[in-house]
Amino acid sequence: MKIVLIFDSGLSGEGGKSNPNCPLGAAHGGIGTAQIMEPAFKKINAEVQATLFCGVGYYREHTEEVVAKMTAMVKRLNPDFVVCGPGFNFPEYSEMCAVCCESILENTEIHTCAMMSQENVEVISKYAKKLPILKMPKKGGVGLGDSFEHLAEYMDASVNHPEMIAALSEKYCY
Amino acid sequence: MMKKLEGWLMPIANALSKNKVLVSIRDGFMFAVPMIIIGSIFLLISNFPIEGWSQFIASFAGEGWEANLDAVTSATFDCYAILGCIGIAYAYARENNVDKIECAILSLVNFLILAPKKFPAYTNEAGKSFSGFAFSNLGTKGIFLAMITAICTVLLFKWAVKKHWVIKLPDGVPPAVMDSFAALLPAAFAMFVFFVVNIIFTHTSFGNAPAFIYAVLQAPLLGVGRSAGFEVLYQFLSTLFWFFGINGPAVTNTIFSPIHQALTLENYEAAAAGLPMTNIFTAGFSDFFCNFGGGGSTLGLVIMMTFFSKSKRMRTLGKLSLPAAIFGINEPIIFGLPIVLNPLMAIPFLLTPVLNTILAQVATQIGFIPITIGVQLSWTTPIFISGFLVTGSINAVILQAVQLAMDMGIYYPFMKMQDIRYLEDEKNAANKKDNLDDLSFDDLQLN
Repeated sequence: MKIVLIFDSGLSGEGGKSNPNCPLGAAHGGIGTAQIMEPAFKKINAEVQATLFCGVGYYREHTEEVVAKMTAMVKRLNPDFVVCGPGFNFPEYSEMCAVCCESILENTEIHTCAMMSQENVEVISKYAKKLPILKMPKKGGVGLGDSFEHLAEYMDASVNHPEMIAALSEKYCY
Repeated sequence: MMKKLEGWLMPIANALSKNKVLVSIRDGFMFAVPMIIIGSIFLLISNFPIEGWSQFIASFAGEGWEANLDAVTSATFDCYAILGCIGIAYAYARENNVDKIECAILSLVNFLILAPKKFPAYTNEAGKSFSGFAFSNLGTKGIFLAMITAICTVLLFKWAVKKHWVIKLPDGVPPAVMDSFAALLPAAFAMFVFFVVNIIFTHTSFGNAPAFIYAVLQAPLLGVGRSAGFEVLYQFLSTLFWFFGINGPAVTNTIFSPIHQALTLENYEAAAAGLPMTNIFTAGFSDFFCNFGGGGSTLGLVIMMTFFSKSKRMRTLGKLSLPAAIFGINEPIIFGLPIVLNPLMAIPFLLTPVLNTILAQVATQIGFIPITIGVQLSWTTPIFISGFLVTGSINAVILQAVQLAMDMGIYYPFMKMQDIRYLEDEKNAANKKDNLDDLSFDDLQLN
């Protein structure tokens, strides 16, 4: 399974609050936080094809451009699954995850999900019915490793075992 | 192994970080931190660690100038138990969905009910004994009593509310009046219980509740805080939790923070009384001699990444993280390098704070650096400045420099391994000739 990750600048290792205006970028394979997600991905034979990222400040100023280009890049790469997250409890990045996920769902046939913690009340209430948003702890919260395992399980079901997706959505999504 | 350890730690972290009492104690003392830091500034000015400072200020401010500053220091440090009592009751009421401000005030009243008010040993020339509240019971010595009082007050208040012992006024009465009347009977109940408890303690050999709590609970726990392994254990556990993505201090401080605070204030009180300070493991020691640049003491790592890494990714991240790291913030590398759940970084991340602690502990015990004074600085105070201000000694700056060099040495081989991995990734990416060849966003077809 080939995966594309959508990160903010902090998770991609381009500096978070110190580099919020980091423009749209892409890297081969998994970078930054991807390294701690990869053990879970390996269990389902998934490989990170590319990581797309941008700073939340840049996203705020160029929302339409970012979402359109992220979606177009996903189309070009044509992975099996796109993970928009993990957004932790970062409100702007979590919103970016939800908006990109929605766009990918609407404009492509590619499986995708967003991932964030319950502190993102507004984003979750706005998007949870439209797209799969997986649960995870806030930054520094308990259960980060487990949440990546759940993500992998969800991805595998989404791509290979669609009959299981309803049950897993019930279990792992908002 | 990692999975097993995580499985073992997670329930502990869950239990501690979700325990309402422990969370309220941690948060309650946090409410007082701004005032303590401001009080520390006044304390620092009146005791600035430079020879001739006092005389210099006295030359234009007049003799006894320190007394004006001490008014602020006393109102914060000497009343720390009161501040904690109010804060903890507020936080615990918040956790229990009862009236926060009423519980905070009520808790203060109950604390004062238990505090001794007659001091027959202190009499004036007319033979009248001192009657009032003594700093000795409102500061360090009252910390644990403050915690217990705050928690019990809220529980009693909540119990009375649940029993509907509430006076309800008709609609149209202003909310403030409504709330104060609603709190009347629960407050009366809680105060009556503390009134009885106070009477009971006056008939014991302890004479009062604060003396009992101090002897039975606080003194033994502070004894644990003075033991050799206390700080090492705190640092190790905090970092271990962080490694698994859990905010370590948020968990460990539920247990360790009151002890750190009490040990710090004991030093302040000893210094104020002209006695030698004896506690090594104060908040200042923990913040400024065990960790530099955030959990895992990652300042050394960030410096190595900035100046000694070869991969573009690591060098860029180092440069972007360095300004924040100087002020003790390492979020960019915790998730960006990453460090959390990264087995390669586990050894230096866990080892560095422990070795810093041991080195600083030995340096204090052999007298190379003095024991930290009661000053509490913001944990974001940069290295070297912090060492000088919390000890008043240039040797502390030298020690921090040695520790930083040691941290860089510990992190170097592991940083190098990660760097080599990133370099390979970068070379592979440059050589790849597939559909990923062009990851440029410029020539994308947008719908």
